[in-house]
Amino acid sequence: MLRNFQDIREAARKEGKKRIVLTPSGPEGGPEALYDAVREGWVTPVFIGERSAADKTLREKGFSAHDFEIISEQDPRKCVMLALDMVRGKKADIVMQGTMENQLFLDLVLDREKGLMQGRVASFVSIFDPPTLDRLTMITDAYINNNPSITEKIAITENAIKLARVLGIGSPKIAALSAIEQVNPAIPSTMDAAILSKMAERKQFGDVIIEGPLDIDCAVSGKAAVRKGVQSSVTGQVDIYLVPNVEAGYLTAQISVFIAGMPMAGVLMGTSHPVIIHVPITSGENKLVEIALAVLLSGR
Amino acid sequence: MIRTFEDLDRLAPDKGPKKFIVLAPEDEEFMLAVKHSWQRGYIEPVLIGSREKIERLAGHVEFDIAPFEKIFESDRQGIANLGISMLFSGDVDMAGKGQIPTAFIYRSIIREESKVRKGTMVSVISLWDIAGLGHLTSLTDTGVNINPDFESKTEILKNAVFLFHLLGYPKPRISVLSGQREIGGTLESYRDFTRLRETAQKGDLGSCEVIEATSFTEIFLPGRKVFSRFSEIDIGKTDFPEIILMPNLSTGNILVKLDFVIPRVRRRSLVMTSRGPVIIPSRSDFHDAITGEIALGVVTADRVRKA
Repeated sequence: MLRNFQDIREAARKEGKKRIVLTPSGPEGGPEALYDAVREGWVTPVFIGERSAADKTLREKGFSAHDFEIISEQDPRKCVMLALDMVRGKKADIVMQGTMENQLFLDLVLDREKGLMQGRVASFVSIFDPPTLDRLTMITDAYINNNPSITEKIAITENAIKLARVLGIGSPKIAALSAIEQVNPAIPSTMDAAILSKMAERKQFGDVIIEGPLDIDCAVSGKAAVRKGVQSSVTGQVDIYLVPNVEAGYLTAQISVFIAGMPMAGVLMGTSHPVIIHVPITSGENKLVEIALAVLLSGR
Repeated sequence: MIRTFEDLDRLAPDKGPKKFIVLAPEDEEFMLAVKHSWQRGYIEPVLIGSREKIERLAGHVEFDIAPFEKIFESDRQGIANLGISMLFSGDVDMAGKGQIPTAFIYRSIIREESKVRKGTMVSVISLWDIAGLGHLTSLTDTGVNINPDFESKTEILKNAVFLFHLLGYPKPRISVLSGQREIGGTLESYRDFTRLRETAQKGDLGSCEVIEATSFTEIFLPGRKVFSRFSEIDIGKTDFPEIILMPNLSTGNILVKLDFVIPRVRRRSLVMTSRGPVIIPSRSDFHDAITGEIALGVVTADRVRKA
């Protein structure tokens, strides 16, 4: 089981080298973490974009432009389409977002015909390495789906479970969060959480435990849960927090980063191949962890 | 200006003892908090609830309740109605929730507010004392309104602005929080931000300012889309607002209790009625946290009376 970001980096190091496509590569040539990953030997980069800019950037980073493949293309949209063709054609393993705005990039990547959409729903998992815990914790969906329906929440759960397995968490403990820990028809997320919990009880997600609805204090603290009369093996031991909507997910992730100071790396799930997107709450130093996670997810 | 919870704790004995009606103190942690608050001179308690439970729990925590007024009542809504009516009639200065469903108390407050024709919307304001910030901040509404619309958010903000004026902040800054991001279209909470900003500029929320930032990312990284290292993050150097409006209850309830996992954050919550504070501890709070909330109630009760 991978317990922290260092474990993730170590695991990536043991994987075979992957081909990662930065697209569109843009004038700055992607984040510094990409070059760190190259130096670590995890990935071989391919740049799709303006050749002269890529040449210049590589020289500035201390590499030779001849060391890596550069595909010259000026049109940003074509850059992305070329990258998607490469991974579908098994000529590359990972796609990394370059200089294109998030909505357009995701529209192309998540297109069901020409993109890499594989599952029913794409979702974003924020992974945290809390200094006070001896394990990783995850929050999902923290970026993609505004107000997921129960059908979408089922897929979001499945996506997170898949990631948990890659991290070596055999039987993930999942808290389906809501505003309160009681089922209340006036708060639909309590009903969704109860459904997910019951589905897990009937083994519809395999070897996982889902408790819900839980409010956050019951989820994070076993003592608080006992005070509220909630008895569960999940409370105080949560691996994955399922949030009711994206406002709760994205803002919780932001507080965790900026006020709690917890290192975060994010993963887009639901695609056939790993795709690294730009979410502003990942620090430059943790972008390397996102690349490591993509390496681990590749081929799984 | 009250900048920290320590400021509140220092002021509470001077402003006390306030008459504090305790709605169903039928839990050991809550009874212990009442005992400590009385010992510190914050309050003179009035205990209302089940006789058997009150006497048993007082015995457990070795609290001699003989000198205090007690009202024995077992019906939960009856307890809430009586306690809140005593707050509105001025018989007590403040009220506090013990082991009683919060909805019962909200119902009683709404009833009393309508009687005095104030029509104040019930909303929970959770103060946060964040180490290194240098002033108090708050999250609201963290307890009542499931999906507040623009009109409700206007009322929620008026309550919070009123509280911050009482705490000595002449022009509190407000962030209308939203999950708005680079994808997913325009969220309702972001539309509300635009309208609330105009409302504040017209002066309809009282003296306050709605700031540009609608997320913690924008508060911490104004005008930037990336950051390199955690060492760049310093809350003391941010334009961190005093009031943070939650987009919905789920978000508010999750964010506000993150103090469970963020050691630098402490929380105290209350409902501001037009006649005084009602403290609303979470059922998972322990006695130290509840005692702190009582101190907050004492100071605000004192200032409400003077206002």
